[in-house]
Amino acid sequence: MVTSVVLDLVEQIGAKSIGSTVEVLLRPGDADTVAAWCERTGNELMSATDGRAVVRRGRRPAPTDALAELPAGQRPGARLWIYTNFDCNLACDYCCARSSPTAPRRAIGVDRTRQLIAEAADAGVLEVFLTGGEPFLLPDLDLLVGACVAKLPTTMLTNGMLFRGTRLAMLRRMPREGLTLQISLDSATPELHDRHRGAGTWQRAVDGIGIAQAEGFCIRVAATVTRDEVDAGAQSAFHAMLDAMGVARENQIVRQVAQRGFATDGLALTVETLLPEVTVTADGIFWHPVGADHLDQLVTRALFPLRAAIDEVTRRFADYRRTVTTGAEAFPCA
Amino acid sequence: MTERPLLVGAVAYTPNVVPIWEGIRDYFRDSPAEMDFVLFSNYARQVDSLLEGAIDIAWNTNLAWVRTVMRTDGACRALAMRDTDLTFSTVFVTRPGSGLRDIADLKGRRLALGSRDSAQAAIMPVQFLRGAGLGESDVELLRINSDLGKHGDTGRSELDAIRALLDDRADAAALGITTWESIGRDELMPGALEAFWQSPTYCHCNFTAMDKLPVERTDPWVEHLLAMDWDNPDHRRILELEGLRQWRRPDLDGYASLFQAVEDQKIPAQW
Repeated sequence: MVTSVVLDLVEQIGAKSIGSTVEVLLRPGDADTVAAWCERTGNELMSATDGRAVVRRGRRPAPTDALAELPAGQRPGARLWIYTNFDCNLACDYCCARSSPTAPRRAIGVDRTRQLIAEAADAGVLEVFLTGGEPFLLPDLDLLVGACVAKLPTTMLTNGMLFRGTRLAMLRRMPREGLTLQISLDSATPELHDRHRGAGTWQRAVDGIGIAQAEGFCIRVAATVTRDEVDAGAQSAFHAMLDAMGVARENQIVRQVAQRGFATDGLALTVETLLPEVTVTADGIFWHPVGADHLDQLVTRALFPLRAAIDEVTRRFADYRRTVTTGAEAFPCA
Repeated sequence: MTERPLLVGAVAYTPNVVPIWEGIRDYFRDSPAEMDFVLFSNYARQVDSLLEGAIDIAWNTNLAWVRTVMRTDGACRALAMRDTDLTFSTVFVTRPGSGLRDIADLKGRRLALGSRDSAQAAIMPVQFLRGAGLGESDVELLRINSDLGKHGDTGRSELDAIRALLDDRADAAALGITTWESIGRDELMPGALEAFWQSPTYCHCNFTAMDKLPVERTDPWVEHLLAMDWDNPDHRRILELEGLRQWRRPDLDGYASLFQAVEDQKIPAQW
C-alpha cells in the first residue's frame, strides 16, 4: 500500500529530535513518494536503497553554509587537477600515483582536455593543474597545455629533466602567459633528492629549472619530503639555494610525502580528512590528486559533465563537515 | 529586588520541545520579561500546576484552555497564540470512490476518530456530525485512543485513523489540518486519499495565565513574544520548529465552538 510509508515517516519523524534519522521500509514506488514528502516537509532524504529509506529530521543546511568559512580558493571545484598521463621516466619511491617507466600511459588526450577545460570554466573552476606521470613524455603536450591556458590559469608539474631536442622545442611552443611550471626538487644538495628519485636526477632537475627560466617561464619549485627529513637546517638551505636561483619565495614549496602509491610511510590521507581538489584521470574523477590511483577516492567513472562531479564532491564534503560538527556536539566531555 | 523569571509550562510531546523552549528562553534572556520553562508529560498535570501557581503561564491546547476556563470560572486569560492557531480546522478524508462527498453522507458509514482528548480529531468532529444532523447512532465511530493526555499533539491517533481507513476498517477519518498537511494532503499519493469535507476554522493553542498574575508582568512578556521576527534567522529557527510564522494576540471567539462541543458532549473538566 503506497500510503503507509508516509504514515510511518510522519509518525517516526515526529518522535525524533532535529538531526536524528529514521529508517522506513520501501515498497515498489515508495522511493519517489518519500523524496517528495521530504521535499515538501523540509526533511532530508539521506538514502533510498535496498528497500529502505533513511530520512533525517530537519532541513539540511545548504552545502554553501557548511563551506562558508572556506577561502574561495579552497572550495571544492576551485582547483581542477588533470592527470595528463601516468607513465614516467622516473620511479620515485614516494610517488602517490605509482608512476614509472613501466606504468601504462592512460593519457587523457587533447580532445577530452579541451572539453574538460571548457566545462571547468563554466563551472567556476579558478585554476588548472596538470600532472602525471611525466607530462613531457606526451608528444602533443603543447596542444594540451595551449587548450588549458586559453581558458584558465594553468600550472604544470614536471620533473624538468626532459628539456632537450623535440621536447625542448615543444616547451618553447608553450605560452609564457598564464602558465607556471612546477618542477620537483627535494633538497639543496643531491643526496636526499637522488635517494628517492634516482642517481643523477638532482642535477638534471636543477638544469631543467635553469632552462625553463631562460626560456621565460614562471617557475615554481616543490620539494616532497618525509617527516624525518624536514628539519630547519635543510629547509633553510633549500630556500637559500632557490633564492639564489631567482625563484620567488611564494614559488618555493615544501610538502610532506603522502602515504599513497609507492609510499609506505607519510601522511595518512582519506577523503574524510582531505580538502577535496577535483582530479580528472583517464579512468575517472577522483577526490584529490594524491588519491588518483586509488579507488577509495574515486568519485565517478564519468568524466562528463564535469559539473556533476564537482557538485557531488561538494555535497560529500559538506556532509563530512556536518558530521564532524555533529560529532563534536554529540561528545560532551562531562 | 529582581523578580524571578516567569515560568512557562509546556507538554513534551516530541524531543524537539526541548530545543524549541530553550530557544524561546534564550530569546527572552536580557529582555524586560525573562522566562524559564518546565515540561510536563500531559496537559492535565500542566493545568493543575497552573491553577496551583507552580507555573505562571501554560502553553495550552484548545481543550486545556477550555478546561482551565471551566475550572477557574473564567479567572484566567489567554495571552497569545500562533498565527496557525487562528485558522485551525478538521478535515474529513476518505478513499476515492467511496461515494462520500459531504459530511451528511456519513450516515450509516464508519468514521475513524483520533484520541478522545483531541479537539481536532475527536471532539470537534463529533460536534460537526451533530451540526449535520448526525447523532452517534447514525455513524459508526471507531475511536483510536492513543497518546491520551497529550490532546492529539503527537498526531499518532490520527495516523492510526488513516491506517484504519486504508485497511478498510473505516470509511472515513477525521484529521486535524496539520496532520493532513504533514502527509502531503492528497498530492503525494494520488488515488490513495481525498478530502471530502473541511470544517469552519476554530482556534487551537494559546498561552494561558491566571488572572492573579499581574498584567505588569505579562504585558512585557507578550510584547517581546510578538516581536519575534520571521526574517531574523535566529527567530525563524524557533518559529519553524513550533509551526508558525508570527505570534498573534488571541481571538477568543475562535474557541466558542469547542466550548459548545465540550458542553454538548458532557466532556468533564478533568480526566
